[in-house]
Amino acid sequence: MRSYTGKLIRINLSQGKSQIEDVPEALMKSFLGGRGMAAKYLYDELKPGVEPLGGDNKLIFMMGPLGATTAMSVSRMALVTKSPLTGTIAKSIMGGNFGAYLKFAGFDGIIVEGKAEKPTYIHIDKDGIHILDAGELWGLDTQQTHAKLRESHGKNTQVACIGPAGEKLVRYGIVISDRRCGGRTGVGTVMGAKKLKAIAVNSTGPLSLYDAEGFKKIAQGIIAELKTSPRRIKMSDFGTSYLTLGFEKMGIFPVKNFQEGHLEDVEKIGEEEFAKIKTKNDGCYGCMTKCGQVRQVTEGEYAGAVSEGPDYETIWSLGGNLANTELASLIAADSLCDKLGLDTVSAGNSIGFACELFQRGIITKKDTDGLELKWGDHGTMMKLVEKIAQREGFGQLLGEGTRRAAEKIGKGAEDYAMQVKGLELPAYEPRAVKGYGLIFATSNIGANHMYGRPREDLAGTTDRFADEGKGKDIARAQIGQAVEDSVIQCSFGPVTGLNPESRSQILVAATGFEEFGDPAYLNQIGERILCLERSFNVREGFNRKDDTLPKRMLTEPLENAGPATGQVFRKLDTLLDEYYDALGYTRQGIPSAEKLKQLGLE
Amino acid sequence: MSARVKLPPILQELSGGIEAPEVSGNTIGECLNNLEGQFPGIKEYLFDRRGRLLRIFGIYLNSDGLNPVELDTPVRENDEIVILNFLMGG
Repeated sequence: MRSYTGKLIRINLSQGKSQIEDVPEALMKSFLGGRGMAAKYLYDELKPGVEPLGGDNKLIFMMGPLGATTAMSVSRMALVTKSPLTGTIAKSIMGGNFGAYLKFAGFDGIIVEGKAEKPTYIHIDKDGIHILDAGELWGLDTQQTHAKLRESHGKNTQVACIGPAGEKLVRYGIVISDRRCGGRTGVGTVMGAKKLKAIAVNSTGPLSLYDAEGFKKIAQGIIAELKTSPRRIKMSDFGTSYLTLGFEKMGIFPVKNFQEGHLEDVEKIGEEEFAKIKTKNDGCYGCMTKCGQVRQVTEGEYAGAVSEGPDYETIWSLGGNLANTELASLIAADSLCDKLGLDTVSAGNSIGFACELFQRGIITKKDTDGLELKWGDHGTMMKLVEKIAQREGFGQLLGEGTRRAAEKIGKGAEDYAMQVKGLELPAYEPRAVKGYGLIFATSNIGANHMYGRPREDLAGTTDRFADEGKGKDIARAQIGQAVEDSVIQCSFGPVTGLNPESRSQILVAATGFEEFGDPAYLNQIGERILCLERSFNVREGFNRKDDTLPKRMLTEPLENAGPATGQVFRKLDTLLDEYYDALGYTRQGIPSAEKLKQLGLE
Repeated sequence: MSARVKLPPILQELSGGIEAPEVSGNTIGECLNNLEGQFPGIKEYLFDRRGRLLRIFGIYLNSDGLNPVELDTPVRENDEIVILNFLMGG
C-alpha cells in the first residue's frame, strides 16, 4: 500500500460524464505528484495553441504523495492549466483542507475537461461523482458558496470554488477553499470559463502508508523539533506580516507601482498593528503553526471586516504598492478580494498601474468612470476592486491584467505595466534583489514569488546587488521549488521542518519507492518538471525574448530605497546566459536535445 | 562589558564585511545601539522607526540557547551576541 491513492477523476463537462482512471506508477516515480504530475498530464493532453478560456483547455487539481498524512504542512494542492493571463503553463498551489479530503475520498487528483452549457458543480461522495446544477450558486460570493454547499451536503463538506470574478472571466480569478487560495495565474478564470462553480467533497476512507510505523516515527520526530522552533513560532504569531518592515528597510518593498522603495508611515501596517486586532490563528490541514492570522476591524468605516490575512503579499499589493497605510482598509480589501474571487497581487498591481497612469496624465477621469486615482486613497481602491470583479466600466479594462490593459490604452502605458509574460509582479523589488529579478524573468508562469526564492540573496551570503553570478543559484532555487510543489510541502521551510534528507526518508516511508530516498533523485525530478514546463511554453512560441523584466527595471535606477537606492538591472542578458547554461538550455532559452534526453523527456 | 556581535551576512553589507565586531554595553540593547558608533547607519536597519528591533531578526546569546533573548538581557564579559536573519519570501 502506498500513500498515493493511484486513482484520479476525469470529468468532461461538455459531455456531462466522469470516469475514474489509474495513475501510472511510472508517472509517480518520474514526476512525484502535485505540480509535476499535473504538468505532465497537461503537456501530454493539450494541443499547442489551445484557447485558455475555451473548452479544449484542461484544469488539473493534483495532490502530492504526502498529502492527507500526519506529516507537517504537506497537504496542499496544485492547480495546473494553461493561463488566460499569460498563455503559458499555469500553476498555483492552494492550502487548506480540500486536497486532503479529496485523498480521503480516494483520489490523487481531478482533470476537468470541456465546458458545461450552464453553471455546474461537482460533488464527490461515497456514492460517486455527481455533476450537478449550480444555477443557485452562480453569482454568489465564495463564502456564500461554501455556506450553501455545506447546507446541501453537510457541515463537513470541503469546497473549492470560484467567485463572481472567475464567473465573469476577470483574467486573474482565483480558486478558493475556505480562506486559502490557488491565487495566481487565473486558474479560477479557467474554472469560470468551464462554468464550473465549485467542487465539493465528502470523504469516506482512510489513507494507506507503505511503512506506517516508520512514517509515524519520522513525522513525530520532526514535529517534536518544530515545537520550539523560533522561526515557526514567529510564523504562528504574525504570519508573513513580520516581513513588511524589514523588507521596506532593505529597499525590497516596492512603493507606488515600483517607482520607489520608501513608504512613509510603514509602521502603520507593520506586524504589531495587525497583531492588535488578531482574533485567532487558522491554517492548513495537518499544520500546527496555523500561520493564517484572522483579524477583525472593530471601529471606523471598515468596522466588521474580517479576514484571514492579509499576508505579506497583500499588505504590499493593496498597501505599500498603492501608498496606502490605512490598515483597516487592507483587512476589508483582502476580505473583499477573497469573497469576489480575485488574486490580490494582480488586482493591487493593476490598480497601482492605473494610479501611475493617472499620475502621469496618460489616463484621466474620462477613462476611470469619473474616479480620481490618487496614491493612498483606499476608498477608491475598494471601489476599483468591486469594479474589477464585476467587470464594470473601467474595471473591465483592469480585469484584463496590466499587459492587455496597457496595449488597449496605448500612449506608452506599457512602460508602467509591472508584469512578466503577462503576470503581474509580486511584492519584491527586482532591482533590490537581483536574484528575484532573474526568477521573475525566467519563470515559466510569469512573475511569481512562488517559482523559487533567492535564498542566498535574502540571507546575504551572496551580493544581492550583483549583476552577474546568479544563474546557478536561481536554477537551483527553481528546481527546489518544483520539488516542494510536487511533494507538496508548504514553502515556508521553518513550518514543515523538512530538509532534503528527512524529506527523502519520509517519502520512502509513505510510498515505498526507494528511489525517493536519494535527494539527488528528487532534484532530478525537479529539473525534469522545470524543463517540461519550459517545453510547454516553447511549444506555445515562448523563448528568450519573453524572459525579461519591465522596462523600468532595466533602465531606471531605483529611487529612495535605502541601501538599494540607485540599483538597476545592468546585465540581464549575462544572467540569462548563466541561467540557461546551468539548466542545459540553448541561449534562446530552449531545452537542448541532450538535456531532454538526459531527463527522459525526448 | 565587552561582547562580540555576530552579524548575519545581510547586515555585513553595512559593516564593510566585518563579521563579528566587538562592542561595549551592559545589555544586548546597549551593545546593538553601540554598533552605530563603528558602523554609522546600521541602527537604521536593526530597528524600526519606533525603536523596536525588526522581527526579521532574532537575537541569541552565545549560540547555546534555542530561544531568542530580549534587548534588556544583561551581557557578560566576552559574550557573543548572535543576530539571525529571518528574511524569506512571503
